[in-house]
Amino acid sequence: VSILAFRDTNVLIQGITGRAARHHTENMLAFGTNIVAGTRPGAGGQIVSGVPVYDSVEDACRNHQIDASILFIPAKGVKDSAIEVLNAGIELLVIVTEHVPLHDAMILMEKKREHDAVIIGPNTPGMISPPEKTILGFVPTRYFTPGPMGVASRSGTLTYELVSRLTAAGLGQSTCIGVGGDRLVGLRFADALLRFEKDEQTRAVLLVGEIGGTMEEEAAEVVKNGQITKPVIAYLAGHTAPDGIKLGHAGAIIDGGRGAMKTKIQALIDAGVQVARQPAEAIEMAKQAVG
Amino acid sequence: MRIYEYETKELLSEAGIAIPRSGLAHSPGEAAETASSLGFPVVLKAQTLVKARGKAGLIQFAESPKQAEELAASLLGREHHGETIKTLLVEEKLDLAGELYLGIAVDYTAGVPVVLAGRAGGIEVEETAGAGLMRKFHVTPSLGLKPEQAGEVALFLAGDEANSNAELVKQLREVILTLYRLFVERDMEMLELNPLALVPQRGVIAVDGAAVLDGDALWRQPDLVRPRNQTEAEFEQEKDHRNRGWSYLQLDGDIGILSSGAGITMAILDLMRMQGGRPANFLDTAQMDRKGIYDAFQLFKGDAAIKTVLVNIFAGLNRCDHLAEGIKDFLQEFHPDFNLVVRMAGNREEEGKRILEEIGVTPIRELEGAVEKAIEVTEGRA
Repeated sequence: VSILAFRDTNVLIQGITGRAARHHTENMLAFGTNIVAGTRPGAGGQIVSGVPVYDSVEDACRNHQIDASILFIPAKGVKDSAIEVLNAGIELLVIVTEHVPLHDAMILMEKKREHDAVIIGPNTPGMISPPEKTILGFVPTRYFTPGPMGVASRSGTLTYELVSRLTAAGLGQSTCIGVGGDRLVGLRFADALLRFEKDEQTRAVLLVGEIGGTMEEEAAEVVKNGQITKPVIAYLAGHTAPDGIKLGHAGAIIDGGRGAMKTKIQALIDAGVQVARQPAEAIEMAKQAVG
Repeated sequence: MRIYEYETKELLSEAGIAIPRSGLAHSPGEAAETASSLGFPVVLKAQTLVKARGKAGLIQFAESPKQAEELAASLLGREHHGETIKTLLVEEKLDLAGELYLGIAVDYTAGVPVVLAGRAGGIEVEETAGAGLMRKFHVTPSLGLKPEQAGEVALFLAGDEANSNAELVKQLREVILTLYRLFVERDMEMLELNPLALVPQRGVIAVDGAAVLDGDALWRQPDLVRPRNQTEAEFEQEKDHRNRGWSYLQLDGDIGILSSGAGITMAILDLMRMQGGRPANFLDTAQMDRKGIYDAFQLFKGDAAIKTVLVNIFAGLNRCDHLAEGIKDFLQEFHPDFNLVVRMAGNREEEGKRILEEIGVTPIRELEGAVEKAIEVTEGRA
């Protein structure tokens, strides 16, 4: 099956009347996503690609059972739109928007915890589950095919590059999640791993990481403490990049020595994660892992 | 986005946190003048976006106008991590009775701001974290720092004096609340006072301050968008890049890279460096269409350092043929001197390939192959 979204997940598109949102809505519908409604203040009553549009999330929820929402909303409006969704009791949000202000994102994450909801992103192409014929976002569906690999990635374009190679090697995917390129995101690598662990179809997980942040180290932690028993492979971009020079001490104190490429790789290796130096190596490791 | 110490201090002072008496100097003469008006001794502090100034000798003390002038002359124009020092902050030198550390930053795992309070300020403050001299206070974003929480921080900072010196605790509490308010109102990623000093008769004074603003919230802080360590032209160029959706960083190699997506671009740099190639830049363009790729090529035009440009196209949401047209537009108009290597895969790959072959460019399908080829032609091996 999948994690997080399924063939019967009812999806709302916020900001559905925008040009990009219309385009992606059509692609999602074509792949099989169960889009039941859209919103756009002032556009209530319109129909976009056969999907009814409402003025507010509340209106949409009065007329439909909604399980997930995708926000195609400009950065300045993300906080308010997301809170609207959380207050309506919707438990899965995909925020594709880039450049969401950090302080807005912190408020959002707090509301998410209060509502016990899941936020994918911000700054993500979303997620796709080929076996469930469901895509929430805008990954190019043609490179994806059903199979045993779970994929979680911090980078959109790098995901497409790696997944197309997995598919070419005969390794389909159970679910691929773009966790988002921002430092503060909702669903993190460790959360994704715990969900993949419980999913029967997923037999191995590929993490596509990057320099910076502490998500890779947290992933290493849940593998090391035995919560993850499936094989995990990691490919990290930026291992020849020079370490940035930090301003001030505060970040370093909070991160406690994590974040550099060297410490990430070491933490992953210590936990028993296989770390690939090149994309081709990651594909070979995945092949071995699912035998 | 980093800002200068003097800008941070302007913000602190406006908010009501005490800072040393000071002035700015851009020349040795100005430094002597400012120092004289403050009274000696003074501190001369080079203004740089990268800190670690103390160890680099960029903080100096002067006892006389002549010494201030000489020291300023030696500091101005010096290089520090790629920055040229153009501005000095000249401050009264204070007698410190104690140095504390107070910082606010974001715990990205927990998704909340954290107030860090240290009883021992200074440059080795990280090392005090384990010794019980540093405490972290997590804040609920929607509630902000509560007065009672600020009180707790103040009591911790005051240490042995917490019980005997109510005035100190009160002052610290005010500074902490003000600092947190500034952190939120100014959309900061990090704000730090190190040291926050105790000065006899004067109270609590922010002797040094550092701040990082959230680049994604600059629209809420228009008064803080201004050139820093760059010419007006560089500032305008940076703004132009931002508007075009380019993330661009110049490197010192000879192979230009035109790609979309930060992750894949970093992966290309890795592959290139691992094989001994030297990338000339990092460019991540969000605008991958015919016009966007044509525009991005302008970055490499007339750059004598560039021997080769490697274009990576993996068309998922866009189309190879459109991008190939963009490459053709550029080549036919400018006939550049550099070698061109194109990696192309994805939507409408065959059509894209045909367009490029018409103008004598054979695209390569595999990323690794394209990187290898770019290194080969740069070294004249192919």
